[in-house]
Amino acid sequence: MMLENGWNTFEIGSVLRPFEGSAIDVVEKLPEDRLYSPANSFSISVADWRIEKPLLKLDECIHCQFCWIYCPDMSIISRDKKMESIDYEHCKGCGICVEVCPTNALLMFPEQTDEAEALANWPEPENSAMKGM
Amino acid sequence: MSQIKVKTKNLKNFSTSAERFEGSNLLCPGCAHSIIVREVLNATDDNLILAASTGCLEVCTAVYPHTSWDASWIHIGFENGSSAVAGAEAMHKALKKKGRLKQPERTPKFVAFGGDGATYDIGFQWISGCFERGHDMMYVCLDNEVYANTGGQRSSSTPIGASASTSPAGSNSYGEKKNKKDIMAIMAAHGAPYVAQVAPNKWKDMVGKIQKGFATEGPVFINAMSACTTEWKFAPEDTIAVSDLATESLVFPLYEIIDGTELNITYRPKNIIPVRDYLGAQGRFKHLFTKQYEHIIDEWQTRVDAKWEYLQRREEVRI
Amino acid sequence: MANIFELQDIEVWDGNMAASHALRQAQVDVVAAYPITPSTPIVESYSNFLANDYVDGEYVMAESEHGAMSCCIGASAAGGRVATATSSQGYALMVETLYSAGGMRLPIVLNVVNRALAAPLNVNGDHSDMYLGRDSGWIQIDCYNPQEAYDMNLVAFRVAEDHDVRLPAMVHQDGFMTSHTAQKVKTLTDDVAYKFVGEFNPMNDMLDLDNPVTHGAQTEEDWHFEHKALQHHALMTNVIPKIQEAFDELKIISGREYNLVEKYNMDDADLAIVCMGSSVETAIEVSNELREQGIKAGVVGIRVFRPFPLEQIAEALIDVKAIAALDRSSPNGTVGALYNELAGALFNSSTKAILTGYVYGLGGRDLTKVNIHTIYRDLGKNAQNGQLMTPLQQFTGLRGPKLSFF
Repeated sequence: MMLENGWNTFEIGSVLRPFEGSAIDVVEKLPEDRLYSPANSFSISVADWRIEKPLLKLDECIHCQFCWIYCPDMSIISRDKKMESIDYEHCKGCGICVEVCPTNALLMFPEQTDEAEALANWPEPENSAMKGM
Repeated sequence: MSQIKVKTKNLKNFSTSAERFEGSNLLCPGCAHSIIVREVLNATDDNLILAASTGCLEVCTAVYPHTSWDASWIHIGFENGSSAVAGAEAMHKALKKKGRLKQPERTPKFVAFGGDGATYDIGFQWISGCFERGHDMMYVCLDNEVYANTGGQRSSSTPIGASASTSPAGSNSYGEKKNKKDIMAIMAAHGAPYVAQVAPNKWKDMVGKIQKGFATEGPVFINAMSACTTEWKFAPEDTIAVSDLATESLVFPLYEIIDGTELNITYRPKNIIPVRDYLGAQGRFKHLFTKQYEHIIDEWQTRVDAKWEYLQRREEVRI
Repeated sequence: MANIFELQDIEVWDGNMAASHALRQAQVDVVAAYPITPSTPIVESYSNFLANDYVDGEYVMAESEHGAMSCCIGASAAGGRVATATSSQGYALMVETLYSAGGMRLPIVLNVVNRALAAPLNVNGDHSDMYLGRDSGWIQIDCYNPQEAYDMNLVAFRVAEDHDVRLPAMVHQDGFMTSHTAQKVKTLTDDVAYKFVGEFNPMNDMLDLDNPVTHGAQTEEDWHFEHKALQHHALMTNVIPKIQEAFDELKIISGREYNLVEKYNMDDADLAIVCMGSSVETAIEVSNELREQGIKAGVVGIRVFRPFPLEQIAEALIDVKAIAALDRSSPNGTVGALYNELAGALFNSSTKAILTGYVYGLGGRDLTKVNIHTIYRDLGKNAQNGQLMTPLQQFTGLRGPKLSFF
């Protein structure tokens, strides 16, 4: 879209703005409530980077938040100290979340895996001594 | 001075902190830079004025037409992320004095990010100047021990025996021949009020130090180990695991120095693991596991042991 | 609030002191600077003003010129009035950041006290540093004397900071010849000067905490060209009208008149010397002498070096028969920069002029009236014959065998 715009349409100095309008309460607003501008990388997706994706089985999760903090892509959605979901727009499929998870709640699957199917046939944990730190 | 401290009693508390760094940037999957930046930015709710030197972080988070920064951010060049933020800090002081701040009730935190290339090498003079002048700012070095953004050339942070693209291992070379520069000692020698070495896998230690840094007036230096999946050559999902090997083996000890003299070790592994385990987890050291070069591994262990001994002695002596 | 400095209507200042007072009167918010001969007295005077409460901004004593300009860029992006000064090696060291400041569209004012670039090392005046930053995207104004060093600094802030411009500006003056030569300078009072410059109006300021902005984003092959075109467009379109407006206003408040292209004895001139810096005034004296002898000799002084006022220059020179471009910098392998700019201005015009170039005054070598008389004589030969009778490029004021090319 932007590639059609000519030299006379850009802000000077290659300046970019992360939000539309004032960002006075950014820290109070959750990402889903913020007015991100199209120039904010939040507005685009890197889903096509993945060849595998993490799936979350919430009933096995202990909400330790390790995956939340060690996700480099802010793609672990945790609200009110509880795990909620994975943000598949921003997840790059690195697999760190699965490695740091101390339970069997997070596992990597091939990208095309059907989520409902995987959740219904969730594998048993591997040798638990090998998981987590 | 005021500071809006984010709750970090435990990870559950910290998980409610505000994110001001956005995804869908160009960083490699598994990049530790991102984890570090989040731990820094999430540690405070204060407004932020940020800068980055040319390098992975800058190149991956502010390429037109997208930015991943939810706070004001500036990039000038390779050497001068520190000076950019120092200039902004000076302007803040000036405008405050003259009564022209738009939001005078709020004082932002000034933070510059730079890779080891920018920090240890090309931008060193600039950082030294900023620290000597005593600007109220924090400098976070994202140390992945090479010029990662341009394909992994050696920097003065590259440790002995690492194979980097300009100091590659070969039949007549075990890779980098020079010892890693002791940036912590150098920055502490500036008399900076607070310098600290952190690793993102030890989030509580790191976030605590960042908050301490934010509460400190004057220049603060943070050296953050950034395990680089691309250049250290390990699988992207192992970033935290490799970081753990670094902190558990004391290759990357976690400590702080206050006012250039008081050294505190802030993490003591329950079981110190052999340096060999750390080296063995990374492709950049795989040539050391040959008859020809395996003596380097022993030298590594000796060096790490000596450094740990030194740190403990200084901690005792408090000078 | 800074103390008022009571100035006399006419002060006796060298170019450096004149520039420092202009900086003081502009109430700069942040000066980040590093000393280098012959610009050092600017930063020293500024420190003096600070120590005696005549300025109340911040003064960052940077660890190098590159560090100084880097801090200036950070300060300017944060959102306030920023200025500094340098010369020669320092200018060369900061040249990377000059391109950054231009590309980032930050209205920083830089006093360049023109000095030779090493090697060999030389502390004296020539224009090699000025020429180094030609393409950096800054507005560049040239001063011939201390009065102009004072006036042009005030103009520079006003034009650079305009929201339709937002480009950094350099104020050039000759090292030692202007910077260290005291002359009478007519002053404006602190109020009048500040009012002329105007209040600083922020734009894209990082310190507007509720409107975060990213400065210095990288632009690759899909974007870079457009951004550079935008910058060039601003220089080519928005600057000259604003400079003219500033000159007009300055005339009203001070009586002093400045022009985009300074013309002396040019009305019916057959012969013209085009040059910059203190040489302009020397050339004017010679041109006056020749006029008394009936020789139609004139002088064109470049006032605005960037953006180069191509049309106004061509207009000034269109009917001249022989023109000499004087370059105070060695082009090292080709014709001089000013020669090239004039050739560019005249090439597609109806000019019939013979254009030649002279390299002179390197490293502080004086350009004497005798040298200039010789140049006018060369021009006379070319004009009389309607063709090139002298070499295209000559070195003037050089000891040893005659050095000329083409």
